[in-house]
Amino acid sequence: MECSFALTGKDYVIVAADTTAARSIVKMKIDEDKIKELSPHLLMAYSGEPGDTVNFAEYIERNIRLHHIRHLVPLSPSASAAWIRRALAQSLRSRNPYSVNLLLGGYDTAEDKPKLFWIDYLGTLSEVPFAAHGYGSYFALSLFDRYHNPEGTVEEGLATLKRCIDQVSKRLVVAPGKYKVKIVDKDGVREVEI
Amino acid sequence: MSIMQLNGGSVVAMVGKDCVGIATDMRLGNQALGISSEFQRVFPLTDRIYYGLPGLATDVATLRERFRYRVNMYTIKEEREIEPETFAHLVSSTLYEHRFGPYFVEPVIAGLSKTPSGGLKPFIAATDLIGCLNFAKDFVVAGTASEKLFGVAEGLWEPDLEPEDLFETISQTLMNAVDRDAYSGWGCTVHILTKDQVITRTLKARMD
Amino acid sequence: MARRYDSRTTIFSPEGRLYQIEYAMEAISHAGTVLGVLAADGVVLAAEKKVTGKLLDLSASKQGGYGGSGEKIFLLNSNMIGGVAGLTADANSLVNYARSAAQNHLLSYDEDIPVELLVQRLCDMKQGYTQFGGLRPFGVSILYAGYDPHYQFQLYHSDPSGNYSGWKATCIGSNNGTAQSLLKQEYKDTMNVKEAIGLVLRTMSKTMDSTTLGSEKLEFAVLTLDPETKQPKAKIYNAAEIDALLKSEGLAKKDEDTEMKTAS
Repeated sequence: MECSFALTGKDYVIVAADTTAARSIVKMKIDEDKIKELSPHLLMAYSGEPGDTVNFAEYIERNIRLHHIRHLVPLSPSASAAWIRRALAQSLRSRNPYSVNLLLGGYDTAEDKPKLFWIDYLGTLSEVPFAAHGYGSYFALSLFDRYHNPEGTVEEGLATLKRCIDQVSKRLVVAPGKYKVKIVDKDGVREVEI
Repeated sequence: MSIMQLNGGSVVAMVGKDCVGIATDMRLGNQALGISSEFQRVFPLTDRIYYGLPGLATDVATLRERFRYRVNMYTIKEEREIEPETFAHLVSSTLYEHRFGPYFVEPVIAGLSKTPSGGLKPFIAATDLIGCLNFAKDFVVAGTASEKLFGVAEGLWEPDLEPEDLFETISQTLMNAVDRDAYSGWGCTVHILTKDQVITRTLKARMD
Repeated sequence: MARRYDSRTTIFSPEGRLYQIEYAMEAISHAGTVLGVLAADGVVLAAEKKVTGKLLDLSASKQGGYGGSGEKIFLLNSNMIGGVAGLTADANSLVNYARSAAQNHLLSYDEDIPVELLVQRLCDMKQGYTQFGGLRPFGVSILYAGYDPHYQFQLYHSDPSGNYSGWKATCIGSNNGTAQSLLKQEYKDTMNVKEAIGLVLRTMSKTMDSTTLGSEKLEFAVLTLDPETKQPKAKIYNAAEIDALLKSEGLAKKDEDTEMKTAS
């Protein structure tokens, strides 16, 4: 089943999501990238109802890009989060709501701070030091409570993430096989192998 | 599982002697799973009004944004700050506009209102999710721990409490009530509004 | 010949001009002066009031803080003030539009609108009236003083055609040529708010038609950062504060009787 994790560190945010695209009990694809790069310093991991997810993520991606082109300055992570939350909250009370859960990790270049937002399909928004969606969250959040260091280095952050992934693989019946991991910091977005 | 209980959280407001208090827990949950221990559901509106929105967290955010919009426009056009009574009716009418598809929150308002003689009078109010106003003279409660809050507040509250005594009363009321509620807790914030300052304190509470 | 192309805003004359726009600009150059100076740590705006007289009821503006006397300088948003020159009625409608636009931005993005964005929004509206519908363009120029985290303090000017530009110091309204050349001579890039206030008041006193400067002819506002919260703080001065400021800058109105006595 779908799992996504994210955590902040001293000057970075790590975002990880599994790469399985499944339909019912069948795996259709095992190298799906479920983390979009919305702007030079913003990542969004999405999960939820297949179809809704890609459609909604692309809608967000294009609109954030359009805002960047029109106004020359990109939206800050917190402004993007507020706008995305609003899109979901409006969708919730429409005829067919999007069923998409998001983790929004970014680096605020004006404040020089990493930012992480937990957003669910209802449009609930919360700024958090670490977050997770899916069944993995029941394991990951407890591990983060124990091991997360808000001042940690990238290596330390990746080690904590590895604990989560290993624990999920060990204990969750429907654990995903592979994950994609991306990091955003003051230099922008990069992908790492774990 | 009611949608009012999905994210958890509780708010209480109390009247004191020339002061009011409003207190809240800081848990954001997804049913039994805790998501954040730094969630804000009590917001300052002006220097003299604070309001809390326990209920569904998406509607907490939406309503906060809407109230801020309406009150900013009111302030800039009227060239004066809104009174707590006026704001209470704004809250009520905003909620009743959505009578048949409501926002799932039960707002609590605490403020100091101007009297004709130029003094300040404590004001508290609460509404249900469709905007039925309840102007109380003692205390109001809302959220997943509201039953427990009623009980403790009934036992602890007394008239004409000074700011520091009110702080103690409202803090004890909230902490002891949320300790018996699985969906509330994870830290508390208390605001005491007096005529010349707002005292804001976060409480060291049980974090389990 | 030109007269045949006057009546419509949306039609070019054979020389390629839009007469109604030019007339609107002309109207503004007779309006009360509005002057703005940008400093590293703030922006200063001053405006000359035209509607004065001791029978004018200013009781509503005694409080100050939100909008002075509300004739020329307006709070547009918590991070922005505007000084208007031209038709006051047109200006009021633009101010309302700006306030709504700023609040809508706050609603959508949970942050104050960036300064240039709000200027753009108003200019889109102004430009529309030079192209569609055969209506009269807005007879208003505006100076905007604002702050945002992207470019810190900023000063913009927009005119009835919908053009806008950023400035270090500028002036609109009557005698704007004189004021601008004075500003050009005296402006320094290293100025702070206090020096900018002095420059604004001195320039105002030299360009205004009346010989003496006082709160009955002047509106004044400053945008700075609150030292504690680091949030922008707009202050629109009330009459008493303006008189106190003029006094401290040595530009206060002299008591005419004493002057007469010393002269004789």
